[in-house]
Amino acid sequence: MKVGVIGVGCSKFGTRDVTIQELAFEAVSEALKDADVGQEDIDLSVVGCVGTRGYELMPAVVVNEYCGFTGKGPIRVEAACATGSAAVYSAYSSIKAGIADIAIAIGVEKMTEVDTATSAAIGGRAGNYLWEFHFYGTTFPAYYAMHATAHMAKYGTTERQLALAAVKAHRNAAKNPKAHFQKEITVEDVLNSRMITYPLKLYDCSPISDGASAAILASEKAVKEHGFDPIWIESVGYSSDTSNMTMRENYVGLKATRMAAEMAYKGAKITDPLKSFDIATVHDCFTIAEIMAYEDLGFCKKGEGGKFVENGESDFGGKIPVNTFGGLKAKGHPLGATGVAMVYEAVKQLREEAGSLQVDLKHYRALTHNVGGTGHFAWVFILGR
Amino acid sequence: MIIESRELKMKHKIPVGKTERFWKGLEEGKVFKTFCKCGKSYYPPRADCVCGNTTEWAEVSGEGVVECFTVVHSIPAGYEWSKPYRIVIASFGDVRIMGWSDEELKVGDKVTLYTAKDGSGVWKVWFRRL
Ligand SMILES: [Zn+2]
Repeated sequence: MKVGVIGVGCSKFGTRDVTIQELAFEAVSEALKDADVGQEDIDLSVVGCVGTRGYELMPAVVVNEYCGFTGKGPIRVEAACATGSAAVYSAYSSIKAGIADIAIAIGVEKMTEVDTATSAAIGGRAGNYLWEFHFYGTTFPAYYAMHATAHMAKYGTTERQLALAAVKAHRNAAKNPKAHFQKEITVEDVLNSRMITYPLKLYDCSPISDGASAAILASEKAVKEHGFDPIWIESVGYSSDTSNMTMRENYVGLKATRMAAEMAYKGAKITDPLKSFDIATVHDCFTIAEIMAYEDLGFCKKGEGGKFVENGESDFGGKIPVNTFGGLKAKGHPLGATGVAMVYEAVKQLREEAGSLQVDLKHYRALTHNVGGTGHFAWVFILGR
Repeated sequence: MIIESRELKMKHKIPVGKTERFWKGLEEGKVFKTFCKCGKSYYPPRADCVCGNTTEWAEVSGEGVVECFTVVHSIPAGYEWSKPYRIVIASFGDVRIMGWSDEELKVGDKVTLYTAKDGSGVWKVWFRRL
C-alpha cells in the first residue's frame, strides 16, 4: 500500500508569542486546508515534541485537543532533533499497516520559554547525561564542535568553508517569510561572530526557535476515493548510534546517517543520489553538520564536503540544491517541527509551489535528512511526484 | 502578554551502585573500564555485557591519542562556576575516554590521564600532554 502526503502546513519560525497548542494549530489548520479535509477525516494524530523547554511538559494531549483531534490518538513521539521525522514515520507506518487511512503528523516545539543557559543544559542532555554532561558539560554545540575539530584535522576543512554553509542558509532564508532569520550575512560576519564552542561561532549555530509543522498522510486507497493529488513517500530509511560519544567509531561523520541513507536508497533503488534528486533538505543544526551530511549522504566523497559548499554544488544551479528554505541554520530548528518542516519543503518544491525559492524539476524527487542529537538518530525520506 | 509559570526545581538522585568501582576509583586516581570474556570492552563501564554475562573491571592507563576536542565558551546551566572549559576525547587502546584538560591539546596529541576534582567538587578525568 503506497502512502502519500496530501497536505502540509508550517508556522512562522522564530520567537513566537503564542502557546504550544496555538502554534501547532497554525500548522495544522494550514495542512487541513491544503489537503481540503476536516478533522473528522483524520483517523490518527501523532504529536512529535521533545517538550523539555516549554512549560507544558506533556504537551501531546494539549496540542491534540486544541487542534480538534480529541479521540484520534494522540501518539506522542520523541527522537531528540529527529522527533518530527519519527512523527511522520509513525503516521506513515500506521497507514502502511492498514490501521489508518488518513493520519496527521504534527511536529511542534516551544524553545524560547526558558533562558539560554537552561536551554544549553537541556540540549546537552541529548546524549548520555550520566557519563557525559554530568562530568564534562557537553552541550549540543560542543558535540558538533568536536566533530568539526576532527574533520578539520583529518581533511583540512576550514572555518571559512563552514562559514560558507551559513552564508548560503541565510541567503535562502531571507527569501522565506516563514524563516527565523530574514537577513543575509557575509563570511566575515560568521568568522567575526562570538565564539560559542570552538571552532563553532554564533553564526555557525542554528538559533533557538519556536515553530510547528504538520503533514497529512493518506493511503493509496484514500487517495483514489477522495481524489487527492499526493506527493508519494517512495522510501524511508532510519538508523541510530550510541548515546555515549566515546563509543563512536570516529568523529568525522555520522554513521547513523550513512545507514539510514543506505536503507532509503535501497528502498527507492537509488544508486547515484546526484542523478536522482532535484532538491535535498539536510540536517544543518550547525555548519559542520551540513558538510558531514553531504559526505554521509553520498553527494561527495568523505572529506570533500568543505569543497562541495565552496564550489556552490549545494546552491541553486549546483549539483543538488540543499536546504532551499534556509535550513535549520537560518530558518530555525524547533526540534519537534524540523523533520515535518523538511517534508513541507520537499512537498512544496515537488509541487512547484516554492515561489522565488523554486528549484527546476527534472527527477521529480526530493530527499529529507533529519538527525537526532549528534547522530543518535537519523532518518532519510525519499519523496516523489 | 507574558505570565510566569510556577517554579519547578529538579535535582535527581542517581543510583550508581552497579558501577561503584568506577566512582570510587576516580577518588583514588584510577579510571576503570569493564570487559567481558565474550571479547567486548566498555567505556563508560557497565556491569552487564549485552551478551548477558557480568563484566569484569580493568584500569585504563598508559598513552592515549586525542581524537577530537572543543572549548565551551557558552556555559550551560550547572556549570556557571566554570571558566571556558576544554573537552577532549582520547583513545586508549580499545576504549575512548572523555575528559577535561587545562592544556591546549590538539587532535593527534599523545596524552596521559589523571583524575581530580573540578571547581564544583566533582571527581573526573583530566588529560595532560605526554
Ligand atoms: Zn559479553
